[in-house]
Amino acid sequence: MRKALVLPLVGVMAVVAGCGSTASTGKAIKPGPINIGVIAPFSGPAAEFGTLISAPCYAASDLINQAGGILGHKVQCTPVDDTGDPADAVPNVTRAIATISNFDLAVGLETNTAATTVPLVNRAQINMVTTNGLTNYDTTTDKYFWRLTPADDANGAAMVQYAYNRGYKRIAVVFENNSTDTGNTPGIEKAAAKLGVKLVTNTTIPADASSYSSVASTVISLHPQAIIFDADPQSTATFLSNYSQLTGGKLPPMITATDSLTPDWYNAVSAAVGTGFIFNKVDLVGSYFSTSTQAFYTYRNALLANPKTHALADTLATVGPPASIYDGINIMALAMLMAKSADPTVYNAYVNDVVTPKAGAVVVDTFAAGKKALSEGKKIQYVGVLGPVTFNKYHNFAGAFAAARFTGSTTSVNAAIMPGSEISKLLG
Amino acid sequence: MPGAGRARPRLIYKEALVHLLVQSIGFGVAAGAVLALGAVGFTLQFGISNVLNISYGSLMSVGAFLGLFMLGLGLNIWLVMVIGGLAVGACSVVLNRGLITPLVRKGMAPFGLVIVTVSAGIVLEYVIVAVAGPATQTYGNRSGATLNFLGWTLTTAQVVIFAITVVLMLGLHLLLTRTQLGRAMRATSANRTLARSCGIATSRISDIAWFMSGTFCGMAGIALAITIESFDFTLGSIFLIPMIAAAVLGGVGQPYGAMIGGMVVGIVSSVSSAYWDPAYQSVVAFGIIIVMLLVRPRGLFGSATATRKLLA
Repeated sequence: MRKALVLPLVGVMAVVAGCGSTASTGKAIKPGPINIGVIAPFSGPAAEFGTLISAPCYAASDLINQAGGILGHKVQCTPVDDTGDPADAVPNVTRAIATISNFDLAVGLETNTAATTVPLVNRAQINMVTTNGLTNYDTTTDKYFWRLTPADDANGAAMVQYAYNRGYKRIAVVFENNSTDTGNTPGIEKAAAKLGVKLVTNTTIPADASSYSSVASTVISLHPQAIIFDADPQSTATFLSNYSQLTGGKLPPMITATDSLTPDWYNAVSAAVGTGFIFNKVDLVGSYFSTSTQAFYTYRNALLANPKTHALADTLATVGPPASIYDGINIMALAMLMAKSADPTVYNAYVNDVVTPKAGAVVVDTFAAGKKALSEGKKIQYVGVLGPVTFNKYHNFAGAFAAARFTGSTTSVNAAIMPGSEISKLLG
Repeated sequence: MPGAGRARPRLIYKEALVHLLVQSIGFGVAAGAVLALGAVGFTLQFGISNVLNISYGSLMSVGAFLGLFMLGLGLNIWLVMVIGGLAVGACSVVLNRGLITPLVRKGMAPFGLVIVTVSAGIVLEYVIVAVAGPATQTYGNRSGATLNFLGWTLTTAQVVIFAITVVLMLGLHLLLTRTQLGRAMRATSANRTLARSCGIATSRISDIAWFMSGTFCGMAGIALAITIESFDFTLGSIFLIPMIAAAVLGGVGQPYGAMIGGMVVGIVSSVSSAYWDPAYQSVVAFGIIIVMLLVRPRGLFGSATATRKLLA
């Protein structure tokens, strides 16, 4: 009887001891690399986006592998084609979840497909670093959801704040009729009301119409000082061309989102209305980060070093969503080290710990520095390209915003910075 | 006097609304000209061969990309439009001879043929992607000077495209009504078996119809690429439904009807987007088409035979 009581007690004590130490639990890593699934469009009209979203994954994985990998395993980026279509994304992502070995982290999951891909990945208990801007994820309870980019409504508010700062009091708002672009609208309306900016029109246009002349004519008749506009490259070029034809070549200042900083957008718009407009009248509003930190240089150099990402380095380095993926991968990788497990059900609990400031913690700006500090038994706080990160209880983080100007076909420079607290007040 | 002061803004508002209406009709005519060009080609081929060719949209994209290639060689844009149109005409004949006709001879049902053309369209689109990539392409700004007349504001390119459409429609009208070939085409369209028994080489007529349809299709693709400034491989697919709608509105298999149908779709879309949420411009256009077809199921100029063909 005594022996029967003692044995379970020993077992319980062993489990408790295990929890007290940093020994890993959860499923073991199978032989081979740890896969980071890049869920993005790699075919169809939005295929360019997949290339852009993959690049920070290559940069982060290169640096992680150079530092010896995670728990003895290399990491690799595995494209998962969501086609840009929420319905078509389902079988592709489902297949990827079922067939990819060591699929322990997903990145991308952009706005167009997030409604179907995020639930799939969350249900599969895989951590994700998403770039989607859907506002319904502002208060998500999805356990494996993590976002380091602002929601679209915050970006919309930042657009109005920037317009206000520039002295524009009469603004026309024209968005393509899709969830990505119209997600900005609630933030725009709230910010305009608080700042006293008049929205002379707030309308949506269908994508890829053969003409937007009627819409342009209506906008012109309302005499806006500036136009907040976001649409795909083809629709943007057609709209601006129509607008220009009706005004004898005069176009108003245009505020758009940083997702317009793509070769497709530049080529289409420059062909329609010329580069002068792009360089002098277009402002790109998006999340801000400093381009003078060591973390940024490390990130940019990694992009430059990989032949797959070399050509895109200067474009990507200054744009928020790719930087959020780079930082997100580093945070998750360090969480795996802290948890001594690549099993998302285990390391997910350590994600906040990686970024939270704490007494005696070593501030690290790369995976390699974090790995070294952890191996020496030190506490860490990761402060990467985006600067200090503080996730709220919904696993969201939105920092400051910036307005940038084109400096080349795919490069930009920040023209103004807006603190995140300022934008949050507009939405409150 | 104070009363006059209050009335003036209302008068200005009314003037502005009328001005917007006139302008919108002009924009609609310009957009409708491109739609009409495509719709006439679509309905011409359907009228003769009785095949609902969904790959028509992808052939338009082929035309646009051929145009891009030829512009790269330094050719004049309007010459490119003609050569590109003829090249797509040839592609269209190859599609008919190589794919459609053999399947028709094997007795494939009309619905099966529709699926075959859908498949062919997808294949064509991805051939374009394989050759030219998925990225957005552009001819550059080919709009030319802006012209103002009758309260309309149009570009030189839009006026030229409208003129080309009118000339082609007139030429088609003369071909169909004044030539032996046209009479043979109309006879084949009306009753293929009877036409064949009267000594008309219906398969040759069918080839000619596919060629003409393809030529209109290619020219419409290039006209569209000029008008919208930038495009990708989905160009034609996006505009296929409005073109089919224009053809159905005008009366299936009726070139004249397709012309009018194209104009109606273009103008209604344009005017509705000026006065209502532009996001719903297609909803308004298609809503009106549904109402018109409820009143006149054969379309504006359609015959009962052609409608039965479509439903067969």
